[in-house]
Amino acid sequence: MTLVRYTHPTLRPLASFARSPWTGLESEIDRLFQSSLGDFAGTTGTRRVPVDLYEDKDNTYVRADLPGVNRADIAIELVDGYLNISASRKTKTADREETVSLTRSVSVPDAAVQADKITAAYENGVLTVTLPKREEAKPRKVTVAVK
Amino acid sequence: MSLISSILPSLNRPATATREPARDLGPTLKPAYELNETADGFALTVYLPGVEHSGLELQADADSITVTGRRAWKKPEGWTSLYRESDDVTYELVLSHDNIIDLDKVQAELRDGVLRVALAKTEAVKPRKIAVS
Repeated sequence: MTLVRYTHPTLRPLASFARSPWTGLESEIDRLFQSSLGDFAGTTGTRRVPVDLYEDKDNTYVRADLPGVNRADIAIELVDGYLNISASRKTKTADREETVSLTRSVSVPDAAVQADKITAAYENGVLTVTLPKREEAKPRKVTVAVK
Repeated sequence: MSLISSILPSLNRPATATREPARDLGPTLKPAYELNETADGFALTVYLPGVEHSGLELQADADSITVTGRRAWKKPEGWTSLYRESDDVTYELVLSHDNIIDLDKVQAELRDGVLRVALAKTEAVKPRKIAVS
């Protein structure tokens, strides 16, 4: 038995000058896999809103990807320790109108947030919710003298 | 051979190996997109949250449409990341077609992180009504 080195099909030197009919077929099969199977791994079709959480000294920030939503169609509520973000995306084409609902909840401990001072901004399809921390929840710096 | 070409129009394209290598964008993410066909063309909707006009590139070639988008937002100084679900990597979407797009009539609009592209079909592939005498 002999071992033959495997060459990647698209790098086969023959393919570049003598066009084999299979080069096109290979790329066609690649394309098929990219288009139909690629969607299983990607974000296409899912309605979940990806969120990022950040914090600094004074605030906690929730950044949610909500592309293509009107500001008026975004609702943010703080209920029972959960920050609920819901939005609807309305798209109109010539013959039909489509509405997609997007929701996401993030657990926010009531004790840590000043609920009446929450603000939100929407820019380039990303929503940023600013949750100011309560004084008690902020990190306190205590200097302890060592005797 | 002509029969195979008619079944697989992509055989008329240059071989993949002879194409110029793609620019090095680092890791890329395929954005969510929708493609709808109308009588006159295609409506492409690409969801690019966080991408501004300056970070967006749309390239229409004879056989492919390439959308590249960079997120404009950078984490400000002093912010600590606690939990991430999104990625900072560049969005890249490559859609190939069989030379059916009229490149002079491509229209695109980016609004609130959604790119809408109107791709007009070339006259050759539009359905033609033939009057029967």
